Amino acid sequence: MSMQLDPEGYQPPRGGLLLLQGLVLLLFFVFFLRFWFLQIHKGDEFARLARENRLRQERIDAPRGLLRASGGELLAENRPAYALGLVREDCKDIASTIAQVSHWTGIPEETLWAKYFKDKPRVKPFQPLVLVSDVPFDLLAQIESNRMLWPGLEIVIRPRRFYLQGPLFAHVLGYVAEANEKELEENSDLALGDAVGKQGLELVLENRLRGNKGLQQLEVDVMGRELNRKMVQEPMAGDSILLSLDFELQRIASEAFEDQAGGLVVMDPDTGKLVALVTQPSFDNNAFAAGLSNKQWSELRDNPYFPLQNRVIQSVYPPGSVWKILMAGLLLKEGIDPRETVFCNGEFYLGKTLFRCWKKHGHGKVDMARSLIESCDVYYYEMLNKIGVDKMEAFAKANGFGEQTGLGLPHERSGLVPSRDWKRKRFGEAWQRGETVITAIGQGFTLVTPVQVACFLGALMNDGKLMQPSLLADSEPVVRRSIPLNEAQRLYLLDAMRRTVEDPRGTAKRLRTPGADIGGKTGTAQVVKLKLKANNERQKFEEMEYWERDHAWMAAWGSKGGKRYVVVCMLEHGGHGGSAAGPIVKKVFDHLFAEEHE
Amino acid sequence: MAIDRRLLTHMNWGLVLMTFLLFCVGVLNLYSASAFMSEEGIAMSSFYQKQLLWGGVGLGGMLLAMVLDYRHWRSLAWPMFILTVVLLAMVPVAGKTIYGAKRWISLGFFNLQPSEIAKIAAILMAAKLLARNSHPLGWGEFIKVVGICLIPAVFILKQPDLGTTLNMLLNVGGIILFRGLSKGVFRTCLIAGPACLPLGWMFMKEYQKQRVLTFLNPGDDPLGSGYHIIQSQIAIGSGEMWGKGFMEGTQSQLRFLPEKHTDFAFAVFGEEWGFVGCLILLVLFCLFLLAIFNTARDAKDRFGSFLSAGVFFYFFWQFLINMGMVMGLMPVVGIPLPFISYGGSATLVNFCLIGLVLNVSMRRFVFKTN
Repeated sequence: MSMQLDPEGYQPPRGGLLLLQGLVLLLFFVFFLRFWFLQIHKGDEFARLARENRLRQERIDAPRGLLRASGGELLAENRPAYALGLVREDCKDIASTIAQVSHWTGIPEETLWAKYFKDKPRVKPFQPLVLVSDVPFDLLAQIESNRMLWPGLEIVIRPRRFYLQGPLFAHVLGYVAEANEKELEENSDLALGDAVGKQGLELVLENRLRGNKGLQQLEVDVMGRELNRKMVQEPMAGDSILLSLDFELQRIASEAFEDQAGGLVVMDPDTGKLVALVTQPSFDNNAFAAGLSNKQWSELRDNPYFPLQNRVIQSVYPPGSVWKILMAGLLLKEGIDPRETVFCNGEFYLGKTLFRCWKKHGHGKVDMARSLIESCDVYYYEMLNKIGVDKMEAFAKANGFGEQTGLGLPHERSGLVPSRDWKRKRFGEAWQRGETVITAIGQGFTLVTPVQVACFLGALMNDGKLMQPSLLADSEPVVRRSIPLNEAQRLYLLDAMRRTVEDPRGTAKRLRTPGADIGGKTGTAQVVKLKLKANNERQKFEEMEYWERDHAWMAAWGSKGGKRYVVVCMLEHGGHGGSAAGPIVKKVFDHLFAEEHE
Repeated sequence: MAIDRRLLTHMNWGLVLMTFLLFCVGVLNLYSASAFMSEEGIAMSSFYQKQLLWGGVGLGGMLLAMVLDYRHWRSLAWPMFILTVVLLAMVPVAGKTIYGAKRWISLGFFNLQPSEIAKIAAILMAAKLLARNSHPLGWGEFIKVVGICLIPAVFILKQPDLGTTLNMLLNVGGIILFRGLSKGVFRTCLIAGPACLPLGWMFMKEYQKQRVLTFLNPGDDPLGSGYHIIQSQIAIGSGEMWGKGFMEGTQSQLRFLPEKHTDFAFAVFGEEWGFVGCLILLVLFCLFLLAIFNTARDAKDRFGSFLSAGVFFYFFWQFLINMGMVMGLMPVVGIPLPFISYGGSATLVNFCLIGLVLNVSMRRFVFKTN
């Protein structure tokens, strides 16, 4: 092995050796002096700082963005709430302090201890651990005056979300509540006790509404008394958001329901903006923001009328005769001449199976327009029996049924458009001809949400453009797709709906509003199979159990002076569409087209 | 080669002793620093145990560095250097991102940090290149050495890891100064160095600029690093003469410092052991450096001497920069304090470099017979 050996007697560079020795000396003296300066010269001062004064950093909550109705009416704001917190580091005797808090508030000690141990790992020793989240005002004064006796106790003022209209907008706005473990882990900006959106727009718009927390530095003494406070970073409020909903219309429509369960949606067909979104019964979302007790929660959850359900998007119903508008559209698209007539004698036989028209003795000779105006079932039995379920399915889907409309609220349902495949998968059975026939009149398996119906009507009015509905005033209109109907076909359907209102025998004649152009279609969707009484007569509405009564639909549009709206109303177990849902829609039109609005 | 008795007699036992003492102090301090964390339930893993484990791994690395004659290491300088550069070049492509920086290559069982190997490779490389002759270093050689060492430095700076880049370049600079360079080069560097500072400022990331600004004005810092410097000074200062006692630190049960077991570990020591303890630790650091200095002086050949000087600078800069940072004399740069800060791969590299110095010291005389 050849090694390049240095000549014997290698001498290290003299300057280099001096340099290294010098650097060691430098290191020693620099830090010797610094230690002396920090620990001896200024030691007393730093010791005092460490003993008596603590610098702390505190996050300042950013005000959550406000929510307003289209006219600027405030719907959600922030109000201060008082909480009682415990700073562990400053507390001399945690056990007796907790006993005292229990004595003041009447909350059992065990409950306070449980909260203490649950939150302890997440709260730093110098931060207040909230024991009682909402302290009544009179108690507050009592605690405040005794606070010096109990070092470590701290009144924490936190913003609390307040919904000024409570139930009226509860389903749209949703609510905030304390962030749970999972949310805290996912977002490091969140601290224990922070409110985050849990439902509705509060959830969907969480990132826009939340804002950025501020930061301040404070110096406190051993008793937790604040010595000084300095803002390091200002909090940034969340965005305030203007909704497209009309405050007054929402109120009027909501009141029109009286004590009936159901949903109503009013939409601008040209933009997809929702002007009203009503669902009844409702609930007070303030209860959630304040923290719901188990009892309150189970009452809401177990209420047989499901007040938490947003019926416009989260409930699905058979469309009933409202479906006939769509089916008539399909016939037009398939090239059926609308003047072609069917003779309705009240009955239709498919093989040996009898299907009845709702009108016992029949409508006589019926063409397409007449079939919509008087809502003749036999016309659709016969016509769609020839078209078949496959085309019905494809057409319904092309018009936005069986999919979410994407209006931007959580848990929207997509409904159901039945098909051969679906039936085989779901029931393991083949599709029956009879099912095609009842599907044609909106019975059977088909399920839709009110907002889907509104979007379809909107597309008929708006050049065939199927819009994405929106609740926000500032959002750009989004066209989901165009429906497969040409202008003449759409105008035919709209005209038939107009005549349904204007014709003396029209089922929607209740909607007539002088000076306005209105079209409508009623629907009465059976919930249970028709029961015949012993004498072969139908049961009267009043004789039926509530849960067996028919759902009432009214799908309508109206236009006056350049303003155009789609209004869809659905009354759960409301009975006949025209008589039950009609008056509600009429009140909406009366308000929309009232003289003083122009 | 068989173990020669002379190898053991000539070994730098002072350096072994100092290393052992410093490592013990570090583990003891980490025990105290992590005890608080477990009480709070923030992190249950005991850093001192992991540090002990890494100490064991480091011992292995040290022995490996000692067994092979250091002049074989010199022959391996080029291959090692090239391998390092290849690994560094792979990091942006195949690397793993932790805390926003891409520094690691995952090998499955552990994460390899090529910049750690680069520290060793750069010292070996610079020592080898500079040991070729003894003339005062002229422009040609100066540019060659600096140019070669800049290659890994640029990769590491991109990761981004300012601390390691700085440490590496300062080591190479240290060896050049130790060797001595021609007056012309020296004067030019003296003038050009400060002139480059504004250029460096332009290339700094926003948070790095913020740290420099914070250092200049610690009271005013939205990111909170000024707050940390103030807190660490309060911790050290409040230790006063005798300290608050082992595990008795109140301030540096430092909930304020996010990195009290790593970059700010010295603050815990300062508070608990006071002026006396700090002075003893400082003396240990100085004796440790002097032990390395001894080998640089007594080495048989130029390469061994330069290698030891490189290791000397490696530790010297870290002592200076980290303690300077913790005590508010320097801006916050992510450079750990050797032996005191927790860090697995840093511990391993420390021990390997000490192994190389011991290697040089052991073979001071044996080669005449080779």
